[in-house]
Amino acid sequence: MTEFKRETHTVNGVKITLLTAGSGQPLLFLHGAGTFHGFEFAKPWADKFRVILPFHPGFGESGDDPAMTDIHDYVMHYVELLDLLGLDKVNLVGFSLGGYIAAKFAMEHGHRVRKLVLVGPAGLRDDKHPTADILGLPGEQLPAMLVSNFEVIKPYLPTKPDLDFIGDRYREMTTTARLMWERPYDTKLPRYLHRLTMPTLLVWGEDDQLIPYQQAETWRRFIPKADIKVFKGAGHLVLDEKREAGDAVQNFLA
Amino acid sequence: MSGNVRFNFMHFLPYVHLPENHKEFKSLWVNFSNKYYDPKLGHELYERYLSELVLADKLGFDAIVVNEHHNTAYSMMPAPNLIASAIIPRTTKAKICVWGTPPNLEYPNRLAEEYAMLDVMSQGRLEVAFPLGTGMEYWANPINPTTARERHKESIAIILQAWTQDGPTKFFGDFYTYRFLNPWPRPYQKPHPPCYIVGTGSPETVELAAELGFGYSAVFVTKQRALELNRKVRERSASYGHTTRPDQLPLGVITYVAETKQKAEEEGIEHIRYFFEDALRTTPEFLAPPGYLSVEQLKMRAALADKLHGKFDFNAVNEAFFCAVGTPDQVVDQLSEWGETMGTNHFNLMAAVGNMPNWKVVKNLSLIAEEVIPRMRSEAPVARRVAAE
Repeated sequence: MTEFKRETHTVNGVKITLLTAGSGQPLLFLHGAGTFHGFEFAKPWADKFRVILPFHPGFGESGDDPAMTDIHDYVMHYVELLDLLGLDKVNLVGFSLGGYIAAKFAMEHGHRVRKLVLVGPAGLRDDKHPTADILGLPGEQLPAMLVSNFEVIKPYLPTKPDLDFIGDRYREMTTTARLMWERPYDTKLPRYLHRLTMPTLLVWGEDDQLIPYQQAETWRRFIPKADIKVFKGAGHLVLDEKREAGDAVQNFLA
Repeated sequence: MSGNVRFNFMHFLPYVHLPENHKEFKSLWVNFSNKYYDPKLGHELYERYLSELVLADKLGFDAIVVNEHHNTAYSMMPAPNLIASAIIPRTTKAKICVWGTPPNLEYPNRLAEEYAMLDVMSQGRLEVAFPLGTGMEYWANPINPTTARERHKESIAIILQAWTQDGPTKFFGDFYTYRFLNPWPRPYQKPHPPCYIVGTGSPETVELAAELGFGYSAVFVTKQRALELNRKVRERSASYGHTTRPDQLPLGVITYVAETKQKAEEEGIEHIRYFFEDALRTTPEFLAPPGYLSVEQLKMRAALADKLHGKFDFNAVNEAFFCAVGTPDQVVDQLSEWGETMGTNHFNLMAAVGNMPNWKVVKNLSLIAEEVIPRMRSEAPVARRVAAE
């Protein structure tokens, strides 16, 4: 059974923790705005790849940097992390908020991305299929909206009021609000997405209640060569809910 | 207590005509639909409330206090400067305290201008406070709560620069750029109107008041916490070379005076109940939008939950908060004792609480003016003096 190893690094003054497993071509995974549901889905990837799974500054086990106030700060953070790890080129997989960062990273630093996978990515404004406003949703409503099958995340939720859990979520929402309070999308994405010329896969859960799967077609309007895979019976956390989704990522990157 | 004891009348101007099913709403703030606002009833309330504010001046209160809240039945003052402006020509002596507009919710130059206008119009009767604004205000206004504290500091710096330096000056900040900071008019009082920070006791706002040498008014904190905060403000202010005067630590007190203790409770408690149980009712998310509090403060406040917002038990409220409900003698004793322990001679009386009807407000204000204020000042009763003139 694959286990992650922990590494800590200091990137431009911020102490970060990353999880890593496996060997082979590097696969950098950028997580979403909540880290409580863990990364079990990424373990099978370690059979074929060197999986690198950093916590973003302001999330999970990494330190805070309140001066990182827009998505571009996170793009630069990953430029610096790849430099620090001595990685010229990676397979880049981004989920939700991480998908937004990954898309911007690939737009600006395409030569460092071998293949790109965007899983239920945030960041695009789609008035016909709007993204739910996670910052405006009452906390108790959010978990059920993440999945198609609630049992999948139930083990990760506290069974009674838990101050540490509340504090951790508040911290991650605070970091998210720094990036997304004014607008949870980038109106310039459509202008530059054509720069995603590397092989690109869009992965979505058909029951995604946060970012509707119909947005996949909107992304593809701007990235004509992208493939789309939509999984039935899965919500926003499609990787956690469907092993097949993780397999599809792995096969695409192979 | 010294002869300089000061009494304010603070009014929230609540909208009290709630729908019958209002208990079904978790919050009367932020998302409580404005379809429940009836402007005809609102007009009547404004007329009534303005008359109550003006009455306080006639009765000899030292100051009239108004403040700002958005998207709520708690207050009909999203723009307290408009209320201040309406009462200035109808009052003569009372200071007009706008405590205040959160600077984050206006352009700083515009707030400097509006306050200067009020100060000039009132011949220097204005006092201002610079609140951060409740968490709820950040859901109602287009300002990122994660920037609230830094922006707050910068806004105040701009306002003070505008008031204290001959314009035009320049300001290049993180949030605002001014190439010609040169607001007309300038304040009547020199260098500027007395300033306070109003807050719920987060370390950041206390530090800011201390650094700027401003007064500090803790609102909606327990007695114990208020005591610690006043001590902290004095201590931190001293570290910046400022001496905190007693009048710079206004003490908010929910006050209802009647002929007997029993009558005061019979007449007053139902409105205090409304205030805590209904007017203040909101959700944890609205109280603390992301980044509005540090994670430590959020956890601390979540652990304390929910003495203030929502549930009501008069004895618990009376025990925890500054609440003076009783005969004039009892209220005088109570205020005198709190003045001593809190190190203040400045009482901010919330004497029109919740859905209190006009007759009770008038009665309460009159009894405070005739029976409480003079005794605490050891002066002749003011109301009788007015009558004699």
